[in-house]
Amino acid sequence: MPKKTNGLARISSMVVAMMLFTCMAFAQGKVTGRVINKADNQPVPGATIQLKGSKTIVPSGADGTFSINLTGSSGTLAISAVGFLNLEVPVTAGSVAGDITLTAASTTLNDVVVTGYTAQRKKDITGSVSVVNVADMRSVPSGSTESLLQGQASGVSVVNTGQPGGYSNVHIRGITSFGNTDPLVIIDGTPGFLHDINVNDIQSVQVLKDAGAASIYGVRGSNGVIIVTTKRGRSGKVTVNYDAYIGTQRPLKKGWRGLANPTLYGQALWQTYLNDGLVPSNKQYGSGATPVVPDYLIPTGAMAGAPGTDPATYALYTNQITQADKAGNDWYHDIFKPATVWSQNISASGGSDRSVYFYSFNYTDQPGTLIYTNLKRYSARINSTFSFLDNHVRIGENAFLLYKSNPGYLNLPGVNSANAIGVSYQIPTIVPIHDIRGNYAGGLGGGLGNAPNPVAIQERQRNNHNEDYNISGNVFAEVDFLKHLTARTQVGGMVDNFYSNAFLYTAYENAENNTNANSYQEIYGWNTSLTWTSTLKYTNTFAEKHNLTLLGGTEYISNQGRANQSSRGNYYITDSASLTVNPNLWTLNAGNASTQTNQNPNILLNNVSTPTPYQSNIYSLFGRLDYNYDDKYLISGTIRRDGSSVFISGQRYGIFPSVSGAWRISREKFLQNVEWLNDLKIRGGWGKMGSISNISPTNSYSLYGQVANQSTYDIAGTSNSATAGIANLQYGNPGTTWERDQLTNIGLDATFLHNKFDVSVEWYNKLISGLINRVTAPGTAGTATATAAGPLLPFINAGDITNHGIDLAVTYHGAALGNQLKFDLTGTFTSYVNMVKSLPPGETYIPVYNGATLESELKPGHPVGSFYGYQVVGLFQSYSDVAKSPTQDGAAPGRFKYADVNHDGKITSDDRTFFGNPNPKFTAGLNIAVNYKDFDFFMLLYTSVGNKVLNAVKGSTDFPQAFGNAMSTRVATQSAKIISATGSPTNINDSTAHLANPGASVPMLEQSANFSNSTAFNSYTMESGSFLRCRTLTLGYTFSSPVLTNLHFDRIRLYAQVLNLFTITKYDGQDPEVLGNNTLFGIDGGAYPNNQKQYTVGINVSLH
Amino acid sequence: MKRKTKITAWPSLLALIIIGLSACNHNLNVQPQGSLIQANIQNLSGVNGLLIGAYAILDGENVPVAGDAYGSAGSNWQYGSVCADDSYKGSVPSDQPDLSTLESWGLSQGGTTTYLDEKWTILYLGIQRANDVLRVMRQSTGISPTDTAELSGEARFLRGYYHMDGRRVFHFFPYVDENVSFVNNNLDVPNSADIWPQITADLLYAVNNLPEVQPEAGRVNKWAAMAFLGKDYLCQRKFDSAKFYLDQVILHGVTASGQKYALTTNFESNFNAPQKNGPESVFACQNSVNDGSSSANDGGNGNMGDVLNFPYGSGPVGCCGFNNPSWNLANAYKTDANGLPLLDGTSNNGPVVSDSTNLYTGTLDPRIDWTMSRPGIPYLDWGLGSASWIRDPNSNGIFDAKKNVYAKSQQGTSSSTETVFWGATQITSLNTNLMRFADVLLMDAECEVEVGSLDQAQIYVNMVRNRAANTSGWVYKNSTYNPASGTYTTGGTAAPADNYLVKAYPTGAFTGGGQTYARNAVHFERRLELAMEGHRFFDLQRWDNGTGSMANTLNTYVQVEKTRHSFYYVVNTAVFTKGVNEYFAIPQQEIDAENANGKIVLKQNPGYN
Repeated sequence: MPKKTNGLARISSMVVAMMLFTCMAFAQGKVTGRVINKADNQPVPGATIQLKGSKTIVPSGADGTFSINLTGSSGTLAISAVGFLNLEVPVTAGSVAGDITLTAASTTLNDVVVTGYTAQRKKDITGSVSVVNVADMRSVPSGSTESLLQGQASGVSVVNTGQPGGYSNVHIRGITSFGNTDPLVIIDGTPGFLHDINVNDIQSVQVLKDAGAASIYGVRGSNGVIIVTTKRGRSGKVTVNYDAYIGTQRPLKKGWRGLANPTLYGQALWQTYLNDGLVPSNKQYGSGATPVVPDYLIPTGAMAGAPGTDPATYALYTNQITQADKAGNDWYHDIFKPATVWSQNISASGGSDRSVYFYSFNYTDQPGTLIYTNLKRYSARINSTFSFLDNHVRIGENAFLLYKSNPGYLNLPGVNSANAIGVSYQIPTIVPIHDIRGNYAGGLGGGLGNAPNPVAIQERQRNNHNEDYNISGNVFAEVDFLKHLTARTQVGGMVDNFYSNAFLYTAYENAENNTNANSYQEIYGWNTSLTWTSTLKYTNTFAEKHNLTLLGGTEYISNQGRANQSSRGNYYITDSASLTVNPNLWTLNAGNASTQTNQNPNILLNNVSTPTPYQSNIYSLFGRLDYNYDDKYLISGTIRRDGSSVFISGQRYGIFPSVSGAWRISREKFLQNVEWLNDLKIRGGWGKMGSISNISPTNSYSLYGQVANQSTYDIAGTSNSATAGIANLQYGNPGTTWERDQLTNIGLDATFLHNKFDVSVEWYNKLISGLINRVTAPGTAGTATATAAGPLLPFINAGDITNHGIDLAVTYHGAALGNQLKFDLTGTFTSYVNMVKSLPPGETYIPVYNGATLESELKPGHPVGSFYGYQVVGLFQSYSDVAKSPTQDGAAPGRFKYADVNHDGKITSDDRTFFGNPNPKFTAGLNIAVNYKDFDFFMLLYTSVGNKVLNAVKGSTDFPQAFGNAMSTRVATQSAKIISATGSPTNINDSTAHLANPGASVPMLEQSANFSNSTAFNSYTMESGSFLRCRTLTLGYTFSSPVLTNLHFDRIRLYAQVLNLFTITKYDGQDPEVLGNNTLFGIDGGAYPNNQKQYTVGINVSLH
Repeated sequence: MKRKTKITAWPSLLALIIIGLSACNHNLNVQPQGSLIQANIQNLSGVNGLLIGAYAILDGENVPVAGDAYGSAGSNWQYGSVCADDSYKGSVPSDQPDLSTLESWGLSQGGTTTYLDEKWTILYLGIQRANDVLRVMRQSTGISPTDTAELSGEARFLRGYYHMDGRRVFHFFPYVDENVSFVNNNLDVPNSADIWPQITADLLYAVNNLPEVQPEAGRVNKWAAMAFLGKDYLCQRKFDSAKFYLDQVILHGVTASGQKYALTTNFESNFNAPQKNGPESVFACQNSVNDGSSSANDGGNGNMGDVLNFPYGSGPVGCCGFNNPSWNLANAYKTDANGLPLLDGTSNNGPVVSDSTNLYTGTLDPRIDWTMSRPGIPYLDWGLGSASWIRDPNSNGIFDAKKNVYAKSQQGTSSSTETVFWGATQITSLNTNLMRFADVLLMDAECEVEVGSLDQAQIYVNMVRNRAANTSGWVYKNSTYNPASGTYTTGGTAAPADNYLVKAYPTGAFTGGGQTYARNAVHFERRLELAMEGHRFFDLQRWDNGTGSMANTLNTYVQVEKTRHSFYYVVNTAVFTKGVNEYFAIPQQEIDAENANGKIVLKQNPGYN
């Protein structure tokens, strides 16, 4: 604070003191006043008013007022409140201090943040905690709340999808497990899911990243912990907020730009034969010297006027007359259409000095640009707290009610389940959407590959359901007693009921499986979880400078779920022209009873495939100590003992300790006078955490069972009934126990240049040992690791991985033009280096399959997810090039030449190598917020650098021999061309064949599939996945006028927003941001793009 | 006020917490739901259940993951037919590229195909399930000695059967008995020794302990075990022992239901679901449909491994167009003026069967039209065969599979309607013939040739040929197909679908022609009779015996096929390497797994890298 003010204050207080001097005797030293917020003149309840140099502390009431007794005739009041700058006000006994105005803090050091089972001032934290700026997080409209963490917290990597309601990949400090690496999410003290929470309800989000912060969550803390606190309302007048937006999301213009049109495709197709020395022919393009683009696909390859083209002769199957799309169908934009998204949110909060409440209702409608994908979500929240017995007892509840409808685009079984995006680049462009009667067209005519019609896929599931009804929350009671003790008990839980159905029509237009009977399936189930937490907290200050907090607690968690999946087929066809069935008939009863199947399916529980039924329980004891001396030396220790039902009794209990400490150097005398430094703290911590998220609850048991598709057999030869048998389904391993992390963290927090800069930088090293991973066994066990046929092998503790990295967060608060222009810049930087350290004894690698193809391996010395296969070093130029190169199956000019990694002169499976790493070198976010008068501007930039992406789309479009799929223009025009010694076109059987275009990188067009072109997994499709994205750009204007205030409007703000204004990348596909799983990611087989532009306008209104 | 708080609120809270503490700790003992532990099944019904489970692997499938069984089908279509000269893989070369690799007999990638590892692991799954029967039975109570012998007999038969299949595919295939288990941690079993002695011991035990008649048609009986024992000796070229057992099977053998072994009147009866388990069925995988066993990933108890092997597009069933019979096979059905096959090696020369540009118009063995679809020939009750049912005319030829396909009128009864599986229409209840009596006769004929009794060999061959010559069992045009009997209506406008002529060898032909002639005739008959049933590759393998005959046969085949629209037209560099390709590669994944400790336990077969 400027000295001038201090002087002024001193003088004024002296004046006041002199004026009131005579009254002192009867004033009894009492001072009253009111604390208000400078920004809106609203009272600030719960502010702490302390008489400096004494233990006298009072809080401000719901209306901001306080009353405090001075010990002397005058004194100084130190006033602090969460989110505000501290203020010191000199007062005189018996005076009225009047309104004391607090300014919102530009530093967050005094913010109280919720950490493990307690709350701390940010400056007292010794562990690693990222505090998310919730306002910034809210700036992106999205149906997936966890996706909003992208770029908002250092140390948190988020990969998002454009799919409505789709889950993101969230990693806190790298990949910490071979299984599920989702962080633990604690909402108001109870484990929950971030995905569907209403972001408008969120008060604060903290990310606990190291052991010092997260070890108190013990066995669940390994993947990091996200602590979410929802709004609770404040005493005072009722505030009503209304927020709404409407926007339009636009499909990527680019689409599959560059797919060859039918004419070009035909020419290139002919070349595939000529290069192989074969005579070209195709069911559609004829067998002449040059390909002829037909007028009709059915009748196959027919020209106008040919027999069977008379519409009168139309018939499904036998003559489904279909005209060729001679110009080429743009399948991408047949399935991607602009979508209108909108959301409305209303909340009300308020309370008295005895109770506070928060209520909200949200409706979000987020259709995807992929037709018939949608997320509709209705949610309500009711949070309330009641205090009584002089505020010494508090009870309350948090309740969240959710209904959502989220028909997926991948929820059908079988061939017809093909991902519509994936097949939209496979189906040849000559195929139209519809035949001459408006029925779907497809590959039935022959010579068109077997990719199904993507429009048909989407339209046929438009009436499918995928619904979820969920209630979650908790009730709690809290009692202060014996002055320093607080006891709290909380029972939280979740009840989730889900339902989905799907109807599969007979896809008469398909090239294969086109006579399958229609069928219908329904899935029902429920999940429940119960968490009962009890804590006892002791807080005291000794000799003024010794601050001690002790916490002890117990926790019991129980999770259970069960589901049923049933199907029937052969439904009565209500429209014989298109073989469709009216959705009114979609009940199980309406199907043919003899086609019924039932099972307990695997379900997606928070995006993790989980067999049903399941049950697992955890019982825990935990304790925590926080001590600080004079705010200068801080030390903290936590310990937790977890017992889990997934291990047998001898292996059940695990103990997870941590210690951390901090030194606030800026409190030392030698730094007290350093003007530019406001705060400097170094901290370090070490601790252990665990994980069981990857283990099956029955892991310790060897199990036998009767399973219809595994152990039954028609021993009696009846043809239509099977005798039940028994099979060994699982080998147990009673010895399995916790997966453990050891995490070391060193960090530095600094605030300087008059609180304008906040910097937090951290280095960490995370060693995950005893990884819970399914053991692999030789096939002699009768079980296949790749396909999971045979008894399940148990999870064991084996293998170690490490992550180390640097997290950095920098905030700058600036102002100009006499504080009229304010800006805040927040940068976050996240890096990790992941490495597999060791594997189970006797294993040199663990193969990772993508379908049936080995694409990665977990191998010591290599990051998880690294692509593993043959490295393409170029194309063979000629047969003499082949002769002098290492021996390679199928080697020929125009085909791939692979690296001879072991230099043994031949290309064998030993030459497969790790050729690319999909882990980014770093990711970073930059939030730019600018306010000028009533205007506000916000921009969020996000970048991912150094990650590799496999553009698997090229694996189809660049290898036309693959199923006769659509072909890229690139391959049709730029592929290697072979010529003879005399320079004339030739074929692969000519020993003088060599490349006419030596610089070509696209392999020669061919009919044959072999090791040297398309059958070996190689590096051809790998590209840089680095990108810089303008995630959002928002411009807002706030109306402020006394007139509005009189009309009960506190605030009206209008804004306009563009999402994904630009993405700068060299990546050739749609979007380099692609999801994956924990051991295989960065593979783009036609992902739902997350970089589509969206134009939004919105309004925020506050009423009282 | 404060005192009041103390009295009412916090002690009661504390009490609640304490009650909770004691209750919660008990809940950590959670028993698995829906499963049994071993103690539950240590009794007769439990062990019998395990035995059913061991049979359930005969179809080569136990699929939690889609696509798993293509490499492991119990029918062996991929190894026995596609990798020999019976058929092409079908579809385009890049569809199921693993099988393209195997079909072109590559040396460098074979070991890394998922097909071979699927085959390997499914066989050991069957073996370990058989071992489970033996292991659990030992710890069971209340099982009589009779039941013990019987259950052990069936389990050891299955164990021997699965090992025999592995021995033929992989050659150096480790033998895994009941002492090898995950629990005993001794799964790294070496493959240095030949395992025929152990297979023989298992089959012999089965022969000695199994009853002649079983309560259920699908169980192995004494005679089926003996037939496989004969095959075991035949594969070892111990012709006397083989003949000893096969003779008894032919003379005295009965089916599990007690019916005397015999050839069915009509050839097609062996490939028709309503007629399954007839007198010709020695041992079969009992396929069933609509028994509630389908799931999203598999067709349950049907013929999952053969799910791709149906005509393409608008063809019968309309699936994936795999396993197309070769030109070479079609030509093998040519007969001379005497109704005998062209044993002189000329069958594949000159005009080509069903080739419109170079059409063969001579006589044919009628079995051709039950073995494959040909353009213009009636395909059961589905109408006339058509070249339009071919998926990729460049690499698939013009023929489609037939023995594994049901009649149109049987759709829904012989095929699955459990639509939860994507390919329900391709899941059938046709049994997979693992041994039929014609096979027994022809194996014994092989023995007779080798021991010198050529007349007896001819008797067996003629039994098979006479059945083929039975006109009631031919394919007719302008006629109605009767799926109940597997025959066409004769009389009226009905006429044989092609120019059929098949006759028995005239008396004394074998003796007159000599041993080489007789051997050739027996081998040729075996191909015609058992084509597309997964035998051919292993027959060539057995007959090769180090002579290089298999390499000769297949390289000659490829040379001609390259000039026709066939797999080898497109993949024209395929070469069968003598001394290597007679067996398939040991899966690289298994080598890596067993040798991970640094000691070489499992060795790759010679010639593969």
